[in-house]
Amino acid sequence: MLRTVIGDLARLRLSSSSSSNSCVLVTQVREKGHLSRPRLRNPHWFLRKERSQTDDYVTAENRNFVKEVVHETYGSPALIKGVQTYEQKLIRTPIEKPSVDAEPWTPKVRRCGVIARKIGQYPLWLKNGERVRTTLLQIVDNHVIKYTPPEEYQPSHRPSVHNLHKYGCLLVGAESTNPALLTKEYCGIFRDSGVMPKKNVARFIVSPQAALAPGTPLNVGHFRVGEFVDVRGKTVDHGFQGVVKRHGFKGMPASHGVTKTHRRAGNIGGGGEKGRVWPGTKMPGHMGNRWRISKGLRIWRINTKYNVMWVQGSAVPGSTNGLIYIYDTILPLRKPKEAPPFPTLYEDDAAALPEDIWYDQVHDFKDETITYKPE
Amino acid sequence: MNVNGFCRIVSKKLPQQFAYKRIVTFSTKPAQQQQEATVSTPTLPNNNTPAARKPIVPGHYRFVYPEFLPDPKVQWRNTVREKLERLDMLARRGQVDLPEFYVGSILAVTSSDPHAAGKTSRFVGICIHRERCGLRARFILRNVIDHQGMEVLYELYDPTIQKVEVLRLEKRLDDSLFYLRDALPEFSTFDENMEAEHLEEGAPVPVNDIKVVLRPRPWLERWERQNLLGVANIEQYIKDKHRKSAAKVQKPWEKYDLMKQYRATIPEEEQKEIFAEVHTELHTLELQRKRNKRKRSFIKPKQLA
Repeated sequence: MLRTVIGDLARLRLSSSSSSNSCVLVTQVREKGHLSRPRLRNPHWFLRKERSQTDDYVTAENRNFVKEVVHETYGSPALIKGVQTYEQKLIRTPIEKPSVDAEPWTPKVRRCGVIARKIGQYPLWLKNGERVRTTLLQIVDNHVIKYTPPEEYQPSHRPSVHNLHKYGCLLVGAESTNPALLTKEYCGIFRDSGVMPKKNVARFIVSPQAALAPGTPLNVGHFRVGEFVDVRGKTVDHGFQGVVKRHGFKGMPASHGVTKTHRRAGNIGGGGEKGRVWPGTKMPGHMGNRWRISKGLRIWRINTKYNVMWVQGSAVPGSTNGLIYIYDTILPLRKPKEAPPFPTLYEDDAAALPEDIWYDQVHDFKDETITYKPE
Repeated sequence: MNVNGFCRIVSKKLPQQFAYKRIVTFSTKPAQQQQEATVSTPTLPNNNTPAARKPIVPGHYRFVYPEFLPDPKVQWRNTVREKLERLDMLARRGQVDLPEFYVGSILAVTSSDPHAAGKTSRFVGICIHRERCGLRARFILRNVIDHQGMEVLYELYDPTIQKVEVLRLEKRLDDSLFYLRDALPEFSTFDENMEAEHLEEGAPVPVNDIKVVLRPRPWLERWERQNLLGVANIEQYIKDKHRKSAAKVQKPWEKYDLMKQYRATIPEEEQKEIFAEVHTELHTLELQRKRNKRKRSFIKPKQLA
């Protein structure tokens, strides 16, 4: 911009010096558009989801007709793998699997993740008698919606992924829902995928060789028992909390002359040179309702009938029945050494899996009581 | 407690009545209808099984298998999770016999223990507390051994538990017996080599109305506030100020709070659904247990001379 202005001026002087009597015409170009352009745009799937529910004057017959149309185009409601969804006709079209000589898995490749719900927690026992607390995550009716190759994927909010230009973006939807409840724009996201409109959408940054065709269903067979996953979720909202609940401060005694300072923080800084409140000091404030990732959780057990996996620990972010995202772990020492199902486990291969898959260290409840051998 | 006994008697009698009715040679259709009318099986529309084929779940199951009912807190409930948990519980029950017992019953638990001499340990004691549901169900046994009070917390579905024997099946007047910790030691002393006392088939579970004698204060908890029925001498140790503060924290209106009760329990219709799902397995396990018991009582004659 600046250079063009200088160039114009130089030409102006040149032209004026060479021929003094010729008139000078400078076309003014206002090139400030790039300065006021909005830098941060939301991705194309960030659209208003729910239609405003107006009290339409529709007769019962017409309402039934709309319902019929939905069921005819997408299939009738059905309970599939413990999730209320629709018998989806459109995605029954054969999904072309990658040919045998497709690029194989390497440890550096980024696979797709899945959208799941946290459905509760209960203990499992290991074969040595140790008790592990596990959280149950159910993968809810996931389908791939769209793949954006690396060349086209230039997000304005750049996620903090190293070498982002090498990765594409997979859009995955979860939980089919009645499109009559959604806006037209939002339903448009799903138009080309052949998938019924979904309640939830998430993007996963994947290597180009891990790309999946739109309409591919994702199931729990995408992961294997014994491997590690990262689970991302929004923590439970506690609201504005004091220092005792938020940071685990001890508070002060209930008696012995203490007045009005039982759950207060006490001192928040020193004097003299450091005579100010230091940044990061633990103080009361809003607690929860933040995105958090618990990393490196082992998968102890998998149930393919209900698409459920048992994951280490009871500290998975979010409430029961809350939405979470499951990724392959990024922790270097816990990454898989052998190839996981790549790019994913397709439905017909998943049907061959047994119903319950236990990690070899875990005690199956159908097995005999644990006993220790006398030395 | 008495209600439970009544339920058991009723549940025993009901099938007999129907058996009688089924023998009648003419059309059985009206009789079946009558059966459906008398036993209020859940009439929810279920596509998988016709209503007539639903098993009749005995009413006492919610007392015998309390851990099959999930936590009533709505925010923590999920049907898929509960179903998976129930399947796991049944799988474990197929391996180990977990009998009916209550707070106040005397149990002997044999469990694998890597630190014990023979790699197994057996503990006899009175069940003073029973809590939680699903695979997390657990109970506390208490005994006094060598003048030292001992308590062991067992998880019901822990796969290291080898055997649970009920030495004396009975109930006490209270729902939890933590006050035994402050009682004289003889009230929680039980012989380790105690023999199992068998109850008659179908007899109601007896309620032991023993009143425990407490030690003087200081106590672990403020027992005077808890309206305990099984304690004899609370009045002996409390003063007027204790009485007053106990009266202050009483909530006599709570028994009329229907919403509180509703939130703290699983509705009856849901209970029936849950037990209808696990009834057949539990029933076969019960029959198996009965057969084993008969065998055992037959084999074991009392000592000869």
